[in-house]
Amino acid sequence: MSLLRNLGSGLRSLFRKEQVNRELDEELGEYLEMAADEKMKQGMSRQDALRAVRLEGGSLDGTKEIVRSGGWESVVDTLLRDLLFAARMLRKSPGFTLVAMLTLALGIGGNTAVFSVMNTVLLRYLPLPNPQQLVFLRLPNAQPDGVSSTGDGDRSFSYPVFEALRKEHAVFSDLMAYVPLAVDKVAVRIGEDPEEAEGDMVSGNFFSGLGVSFTRGRGFALEDETAHASVVVLSYSYWTTRFGRSPSAIGQTIYVKGVPFTVIGVTAQGFYGVEPASSTDFWIPLQNRPELTAWDEEPSLNTLYGTPNWWCIQLIGRLVPGVTESQALAKLDPVFQSAALIGLGTPDPKAKKNILAFSSTQGIQGLRDDYQKPIQILLAMVGLVLAIACANVSMLLVARNSTRAREFSVRMALGAGRGRLLRQTLTESFLLVAGGAAFGWMFAISGSQALAAWSGMEIPFVLDSRVLLFTLTISISCAIIFGLAPLRRAVSVPVGFTLKTSNATAYRDQRSSWSGKVVVASQMALCLILLVGSGLLVRSLRNYQTLSLGLRVDGLLVFGTDPFSVHSDEEKEHFYQNLLARLREAPGVESATLVSHRLGSGWGWNSVWTIDGVELQRPFSEIGMSANHVGPDFCHTLGIPILRGRDVTDADTRSAPKVVLVNETFSKRFFPKGDALGHSVGKNEPENRFTIVGVIGDSKYKRVDEKSKPTLYFPFAQHTPIPNMQVELRTHGNPEALIPNVHAVLHGLDPNLPIQKPMTQRAQFDESYSQARLFARLSIFFGVIAVLLVATGLYGTLAYRVDRRTSEIGVRMALGAQHGQVLWLILRESLLVSGAAILAGVPVAIAGARLMRSMLFGVQPGDMISFLLALFGVILVALAASIIPARRAMRVDPLVALRYE
Amino acid sequence: MPDKSSDVVQGTLDMLVLKTLALEPMHGYGISVRIEQVSKGVFRPNAGSLFLAIQRLQRDGLIDGEWKATENNRRARYYVLTKKGRQRLSSETREWGRQAAAVARILEAS
Repeated sequence: MSLLRNLGSGLRSLFRKEQVNRELDEELGEYLEMAADEKMKQGMSRQDALRAVRLEGGSLDGTKEIVRSGGWESVVDTLLRDLLFAARMLRKSPGFTLVAMLTLALGIGGNTAVFSVMNTVLLRYLPLPNPQQLVFLRLPNAQPDGVSSTGDGDRSFSYPVFEALRKEHAVFSDLMAYVPLAVDKVAVRIGEDPEEAEGDMVSGNFFSGLGVSFTRGRGFALEDETAHASVVVLSYSYWTTRFGRSPSAIGQTIYVKGVPFTVIGVTAQGFYGVEPASSTDFWIPLQNRPELTAWDEEPSLNTLYGTPNWWCIQLIGRLVPGVTESQALAKLDPVFQSAALIGLGTPDPKAKKNILAFSSTQGIQGLRDDYQKPIQILLAMVGLVLAIACANVSMLLVARNSTRAREFSVRMALGAGRGRLLRQTLTESFLLVAGGAAFGWMFAISGSQALAAWSGMEIPFVLDSRVLLFTLTISISCAIIFGLAPLRRAVSVPVGFTLKTSNATAYRDQRSSWSGKVVVASQMALCLILLVGSGLLVRSLRNYQTLSLGLRVDGLLVFGTDPFSVHSDEEKEHFYQNLLARLREAPGVESATLVSHRLGSGWGWNSVWTIDGVELQRPFSEIGMSANHVGPDFCHTLGIPILRGRDVTDADTRSAPKVVLVNETFSKRFFPKGDALGHSVGKNEPENRFTIVGVIGDSKYKRVDEKSKPTLYFPFAQHTPIPNMQVELRTHGNPEALIPNVHAVLHGLDPNLPIQKPMTQRAQFDESYSQARLFARLSIFFGVIAVLLVATGLYGTLAYRVDRRTSEIGVRMALGAQHGQVLWLILRESLLVSGAAILAGVPVAIAGARLMRSMLFGVQPGDMISFLLALFGVILVALAASIIPARRAMRVDPLVALRYE
Repeated sequence: MPDKSSDVVQGTLDMLVLKTLALEPMHGYGISVRIEQVSKGVFRPNAGSLFLAIQRLQRDGLIDGEWKATENNRRARYYVLTKKGRQRLSSETREWGRQAAAVARILEAS
């Protein structure tokens, strides 16, 4: 109550200042009059009485000031006045204000953008209610032996395990299952044109258990799962891109691999699925029809419900409130252990123990581990940029405030306390930083979008409250540093001194010019560290780009196919033969071949083989060897040299003798002296032997940075079942120009067939080092900003000092100093500063480079060239920044300079 | 002046103003005169501290002000004690008595 009254009264004095003042005036005036009346009764004249009252009680204005400063509103009032004054001071020097704000904006914006990446990838929870209760189920010890596995061995479970665990209602209020329909995308048709989209099959409680809200329609119910209903839920972004947010999307039919589904709902904006590294486009209930299998598996091999040892389901659970993770795991363990054995028979007692674990939903699954260290290093780099920017602005402020030393001296002479001046400069720096932070925030918005595009992530980096808090924290610390640093000098100047001396010869002591040099030197040292870091990252990127892939990568187009209407191997072989024949006829196509695992995509096939029926030694008996299924003209189309023997041809059909190509590493490893041709590779059964008919050059398979491994290439039709194949086309011109022709050919074969992820083979290989590319680009960006900031900072300091020394230089020249000597005077200073910077920066850079080791490729942390380039860069910056001031010093006219005094 | 008047003991002016107003509503000058009279000239609050105290008490809702005519036909702002002010006065008086007795006991100890 009294707080409210206090607030109201204070606000009244703030906003109705006139009236409140008048009332106070009147009240005090009456007080004075009454006191005077009293004196006059004792016989004083009116004039004497008034004078006596003033002498006793102080002046009327003084009293008013005391009363007025008593309330809280007076603090606000002075603050407002300080703000207005600061704004006026800043407006008086717009150049300074703009440069300082932009410098800060770069620093703060860069930090905010990088932190937003860190926030999204490492810190942020899924945008769902009570996300702390959600846990992913994990298998840190991998799946049990003997299971049929997908690529995600540490996070996939069998259907019996899901059934057993979902009944544990004391632990999970809901346990949700989700299974991708394909490794990547799946064929979808809406209306006439086939396309592809990313879809998951999910349990009936998926949306309700997660707490997903809906923009339109509804989610699934448990009955949808048990009935395997033909209904589909779209993600907000897919609804936006594919339906233009039309409400009429509800009720429409979508054909998933030719099976019709009815749209019943659209999820809320911002939900990209539980693993948002690649956003999910649609969800359907768990299905049992052969067309729609988990992971696009061949139904004759494994099915979700029919194969208890097919570990393909991913699980996310919502813990009952109050149950800790360790309690939950303890309760789940016995249930999990028995369910895990279903379909596996009696366990081998020596086998490793199956362990169930949880992993939090913080950050982005799958990216967290890869990105943690690089993001921390990036944040450190961008932090250096901020430090350099701060140093620049504080030097600018020092320079500005030393020309204001007279102003401060006058104000102190007139009685302003140091506290008052401190508040004034603090207000000014707060205003500067606020402007810088506002610009920086805008910069961060576009910056984080650019980062998302560069890193190839499908979800935006959100600038949420946590990022805002981060930005505010660094901004406020900047403001405090700026406010204090320059003031210390300004107020330490003796008052009389500045007032007495003239402007040109004004106070200059050795200490202050020292501190300026130290700041510039440390800036240059930071810049050196940054340049070494970016040099190393850029050289790593160069290594990725120029690495020999072992094949002619330019002029290749690759795309995927999924002939889901074709089932038997016979039909499938015929389909692909037919497809190749038609593609070879298509305009622009030089040659065409097939490959089951797309090169450069990170996916591959590993299997254990025997050579001539003999089991191999470790490690090949355990981890196996890389292999791929390929089509005819494989080496010819991809440009892989054939060292001995022949390429795969059209004649290597299902019924033809089984053959295989091996790479050079295989031949050298297993036949170091002899000839691999004519030997055989296979499984134990004699009918599964493949004769080696060709030895071909080593080429990159999964990614650019892999080492050469023994690799086998099998004609695609000679394996059962025949996998879905990727098509590689060679052309003379731009590979992407072929896409319309490919569309036409596929449409001619089957109108439901989409063309999956068409791209140049070069772009596909580039994807395998997209992280390195992102970091190299960013570090170049940071390096350029740092160089610019350091250059302007050094230039500013030198120019300012030359300006202050004009009369000194004039005297020197009048006494006979040559141009060269004057030039050296200035250059020597900047070279000394850079020398000190290099001495200080190199050891730190060496230590910093060690931390980056895991991000480097083909470059040692102590790489000479990177260090030399960085040193060269720093010296170049020093020279470039000193040229203009040095020339100005050379042109000083002694007469003018002396008269200027 | 018979005696050199001294400043009011730190923090007690509010209480003195409340006590003065408890007797009858009064304007600023009246409060000042009354305090001086009753204290026999020991305390004479100056205008600055007095009006500061009045402003503070008003904002805390302990007193209320109203413009009225004085007996000499001047206009002045008269202050009255609120209910809350009365409660505060009695509690502060009790507390003051306790403290003053304690201080006296300490000073008298030999």
